[in-house]
Amino acid sequence: MARGTAAGPRAVLAYLIRRLFAAAVMLVVIILVVFGIFFLVPRWAGVDPATMFVGKQADPAAIEAVRQKLGLADPIFVQVWEFFKGLFAGRTYAAGGDVTECAAPCFGYSFRNEQAIWPVLTDRFPVTLALALGAAVLWLIFGVAAGVLSALKRGSLWDRGAMVIALGGVSLPIYFTGLLSLAIFSYGLGWLDAQYVPIEESFTGWLGGMILPWITLAFLYAAMYARITRATMLEVLGEDYIRTARAKGLREPVVIGKHAMRSTMTPILTMLGMDLGALIGGAILTETTFSLPGLGAAVLKAISDKDLPVILGVTLITSLAVIVANLLVDLLYAVIDPRVRLS
Amino acid sequence: MTTQRTTGRRKQAAAAAAVVAALLSTAACGGGNDDDGGSKSGAAGFNAANNKVAQASLAKKGGELKFAGAQDADSWDTTRGYYGFAWNFMRYYSRTLVTGKAEPGAKGAEVTPDLATSTAKISDDGKTYTYTLRDGVTWEDGKPITSKDVKYGIERVWAQDVLSGGPVYLKDVLDPKGEYPGPYKDKSADKLGLKAIETPDDKTIVFKLPAANSDFEDILGLASAAPVRQDKDTKSKYGLKPFSSGPYKFQSYTPNKKLVLVRNENWKQSSDPIRKAYPDKISLTLFTNANDMDQRLINGDYDLDIGQTGLSPQGRTTALKQHKGNLDNPVSGYIRYAVFPQSVKPFDNIHCRKAVIYGADHESLQTARGGPVAGGDIGTNMLPPSVPGSEGQKYDPYESATTNKNGNAAKAKEELKACGQPNGFKTTIAVRNNKPVEVATAESLQASLKKVGIDVEIDQFDGAQTTGIIGSPENVKKKNYGIIIMGWGPDFPTVQGYGLPLWSGKYILESGNNNFALIKDKTIDGLFDDYVTELDEAKKTEISTEINHKVMEGGYYLPFVFEKFINWRSNRLANVYTTDNYSGQYDFVNLGLKK
Amino acid sequence: MYNGLITPLQRHVWAGYRRLRGVPATMTAPLHEPTAEAAPSAAEEAALVAGSAEAKAVQGRSLGRIAWERLKRDKLALTGGVVVLVLIAIALLAPVITNLVGQDPETHHEDLIDPLFSTPTGSWGGISGDHLLGVEPVSGRDIFARIVYGARVSLLVGFLSALVAVVLGTILGVLAGYFGGWVDAIISRVMDGLLAFPQLLFIIALVSVMPNEMLGLTGTGVRLFVMILVIGFFGWPYVGRVVRGQTLSLREREYVEAARSLGAGRFYILFKELLPNLVAPIIVYTTMMIPTNILTEAALSFLGVGVKPPTASWGQMLSSAIDYYDSDPMYMVIPGVAIFITVLSFNLFGDGVRDALDPKGSR
Repeated sequence: MARGTAAGPRAVLAYLIRRLFAAAVMLVVIILVVFGIFFLVPRWAGVDPATMFVGKQADPAAIEAVRQKLGLADPIFVQVWEFFKGLFAGRTYAAGGDVTECAAPCFGYSFRNEQAIWPVLTDRFPVTLALALGAAVLWLIFGVAAGVLSALKRGSLWDRGAMVIALGGVSLPIYFTGLLSLAIFSYGLGWLDAQYVPIEESFTGWLGGMILPWITLAFLYAAMYARITRATMLEVLGEDYIRTARAKGLREPVVIGKHAMRSTMTPILTMLGMDLGALIGGAILTETTFSLPGLGAAVLKAISDKDLPVILGVTLITSLAVIVANLLVDLLYAVIDPRVRLS
Repeated sequence: MTTQRTTGRRKQAAAAAAVVAALLSTAACGGGNDDDGGSKSGAAGFNAANNKVAQASLAKKGGELKFAGAQDADSWDTTRGYYGFAWNFMRYYSRTLVTGKAEPGAKGAEVTPDLATSTAKISDDGKTYTYTLRDGVTWEDGKPITSKDVKYGIERVWAQDVLSGGPVYLKDVLDPKGEYPGPYKDKSADKLGLKAIETPDDKTIVFKLPAANSDFEDILGLASAAPVRQDKDTKSKYGLKPFSSGPYKFQSYTPNKKLVLVRNENWKQSSDPIRKAYPDKISLTLFTNANDMDQRLINGDYDLDIGQTGLSPQGRTTALKQHKGNLDNPVSGYIRYAVFPQSVKPFDNIHCRKAVIYGADHESLQTARGGPVAGGDIGTNMLPPSVPGSEGQKYDPYESATTNKNGNAAKAKEELKACGQPNGFKTTIAVRNNKPVEVATAESLQASLKKVGIDVEIDQFDGAQTTGIIGSPENVKKKNYGIIIMGWGPDFPTVQGYGLPLWSGKYILESGNNNFALIKDKTIDGLFDDYVTELDEAKKTEISTEINHKVMEGGYYLPFVFEKFINWRSNRLANVYTTDNYSGQYDFVNLGLKK
Repeated sequence: MYNGLITPLQRHVWAGYRRLRGVPATMTAPLHEPTAEAAPSAAEEAALVAGSAEAKAVQGRSLGRIAWERLKRDKLALTGGVVVLVLIAIALLAPVITNLVGQDPETHHEDLIDPLFSTPTGSWGGISGDHLLGVEPVSGRDIFARIVYGARVSLLVGFLSALVAVVLGTILGVLAGYFGGWVDAIISRVMDGLLAFPQLLFIIALVSVMPNEMLGLTGTGVRLFVMILVIGFFGWPYVGRVVRGQTLSLREREYVEAARSLGAGRFYILFKELLPNLVAPIIVYTTMMIPTNILTEAALSFLGVGVKPPTASWGQMLSSAIDYYDSDPMYMVIPGVAIFITVLSFNLFGDGVRDALDPKGSR
């Protein structure tokens, strides 16, 4: 196969550069699109974006100052250019004798909360990351285990049951299962506090707050991973090298655990990369349901406040996360695919 | 504490099990010891803190008072904040010359000296107000608060371009022509160039009004009149860490996440006749899921909701059934209503406006607002019960709470005929999309108007863009918003603090307009002019009543309810009372904890 | 992409894509050149269809019959199919059905509501002979009628947005696969870009800034239109990638070569030779996309950017039910179950179709 020979260090480097370049281009495009949505569409709908940043009794001076600070009067490409410049050189917003510095990397500045966006992102990112990673560990363990069991006991009651449960997990909206789990385990039985506590404040408190979101999120994904593991495993078990391994007299647990699992993990890893990327971008529904102060909750609030700078920042981080996650998975893939070695 | 929580949770366990079984089991959980009220460790009883003080003697020094919230303040900068709960909370870290009394109900709205030694010495036909500052009033770094700090704090209101968002009454009254450019553009060296305020010495401050305004002391009681020290003014970022003049100071604040106040060691109890400062620490935790927040209040994890706009339906039901003793049911001072812009045809005709008022099912609208307890009494006129001059349901020109409470189709048809639209007409209701209860009232209105032939479409607009969408008369006309659903509460409880922006022809603005009906009535404007120059309280009350009558006779408004809330107070809270100064909210500044 | 709302589909399609190319699925430029030969590498249920469809497709007309024979034996899938048909019938006949029970989705019945709690006075959420599934809290509107009408919104959004995705995906996928070169490069990059875009976020943002009137539509019409377009727009790359891969391998096949050597035009080959062979995988992806779209509509309504009142939608009902999850659990359970049944039926049916088209029959 082509990849056996192509994956030399130079090829990998060239590939990396190509990928990074493509990623950069994509980020630029995404910024342009988001700018378009929030600055062009409202104008088309007949709303002055500046009025969105002003309070109950909108003073014309206030509207004008916001316009000046945000540079709303400038042509859109100037606004976009200012934004790019800010990413590397920082930015200064000034109007009416008030000067606001936004240090590089300046992802914008929220006039609603008087905060630079970058600190908000770095403050909230760990919460979302912890949510995504924790849930991923859970769904990998349970999903893969259930899938393997199903494959080995193919056609059994367990197999059939697991499949229907899996479909059920996929069919329920997460805010439904999330609320149900809160009602039962937190408000009801009182087993878990299910309240977010920063990890630096109390590790056990943090753990107690994260378990329910993890489980709820993992339920959705575990179902899916079980189905996929099962199917892949079934196919792998039918392959020649497994038969060879068995013929050589290797014990069944070794065949399954060492040889079959390795091939099975490959597609699962690919999916993991995509799912993690998407989740890191903001598990909006999960974070809202469990009041987790992550990126998803921040962006939802920002959308209802029309706080464009926050939306832009989160969108960028999200896209970056998706791209990075997939890049990592692709590299990992080349490392762990057993058939590359077997050939 | 621990034991109470367990019992609470056990009860909840039964309820939650019921969710799973899809059974309506809450009835089985009803009753319980919580209702008895008045117990020292438990809840004070239903309405125990509504217009009266609950468990004042149980308040002890110390502890952490825990607020929960579903929404952060618009700004914690005293100049910029406009949310009622923010003003209430600001009393923890900011003082004003005068403020509302620390007493329950209507008394709370009466002005009393705070930084000043007494209320104003008024001279020159109500155009000069003189105050003397108390001894021993200090900032959080121990330096004394001077009259110049007060002046500077007030001057910040003029810097609307930088410090937007807050009320601008001070600017309108002291400098109606807008001559002063604000402290950031002030050419004078000390940045104290505002002519209307004089500070002959550090203890004295004199306000010289160009024209008398009989509510001026009420305006000085607003948080926007709080002192700000020039060297601590971080301008637009001041709200992230205001410099404290009150008993507490900011320890940490992350917008939309958490706010923590700790004691300001330099504040002296002897210098402050208002604030008791019971807790050692005050925290505010913000939630994104309102149902989750209510549940945590009920579980006892938090003491009260900072928003003070009532429990959401689920929490309300649970609390009413199981913890009635923890609830108060105050009148909020808000009126929820529909208003008819005269620029949109056929609402230029008074008869078409009246047709809608008669066609509406007022009881259905009340149910949509949450019913008589959680929503409030049927609104019959436009003056809130907390405002002097209000007559409550006694003034009911359209018999909305009595004969016509389910709508009067015959009268509506009559008015339609008089309006020249005998077969009804089509129009659009504009309603904020982020207020489910308002959407419910729109749906109710839609359903009842359909019966008299008025066909309405509901347009949910973005609640974050209220000023830009319905605040622009041009846009209202363009979008054909014949009916706008809104609510309004007094900034300070007088007819001026409530009705001036809504009913005065001078307040029709191109953007940020609140006179949605576009009322331009010489009689009403004249009455407002009389009001601001009238210094006699009884006569002021009389004028207020008359303004209300004129507004109602014009048929510009369809009031839904005199709003009521069901607010939660934890078992730990002591010295709790509602105050009209902050629209029926608990008076935050004197809340204490039991040990 | 968020919280797995789109992931089931995403997963199937990606797996298929990966298998077709014999390389790991990548968001952007793949590490290795695509091979026309489908490598027997990583695969999963969905992949089998996509991959094997190419083998089978050659067999032509018999495919449909074989698949139907298989499908007939799959009781679970058939049940799913029947339920789907019933749901479609309910949606189409909504006014007739509600007339039969004498209810409509917009009449208020406040007399059935407890004014203190805003919940129905009757037990079980006010279920009675008049109101088969009870009434809504606050307004007292008939839940049965609203569920029946809500099916229209859910299915309309589910089907039409899938249609948008399939049409766009097929056209662009075929173009990219058949013409190759710069056409392929551009279309592939666009697909990569869309897949890296935070979709739910984008949809919320777009729907919330949309004007109320456009293209002669007002209110709910605009919202539906936007939802369908946007959900469909973000769905097409999933279809597009698979179709592109299929086309890549099909265009080298003998019968296409034969047609070409006989002097057939490009478009003749595209429409007469290639498209018919793409029908199977497209059908499969459509059945998988519909339930995902239904859930997306529900999520959007939950987040407050769905259809407008008083129009009923299951997602909107579920989201308002959250305020009464304990005091009126039936109000939450009913739309929840409706969504669950619908999504489950589509999933079961989709799985069945996939298996029917799958020669290995791994199930």
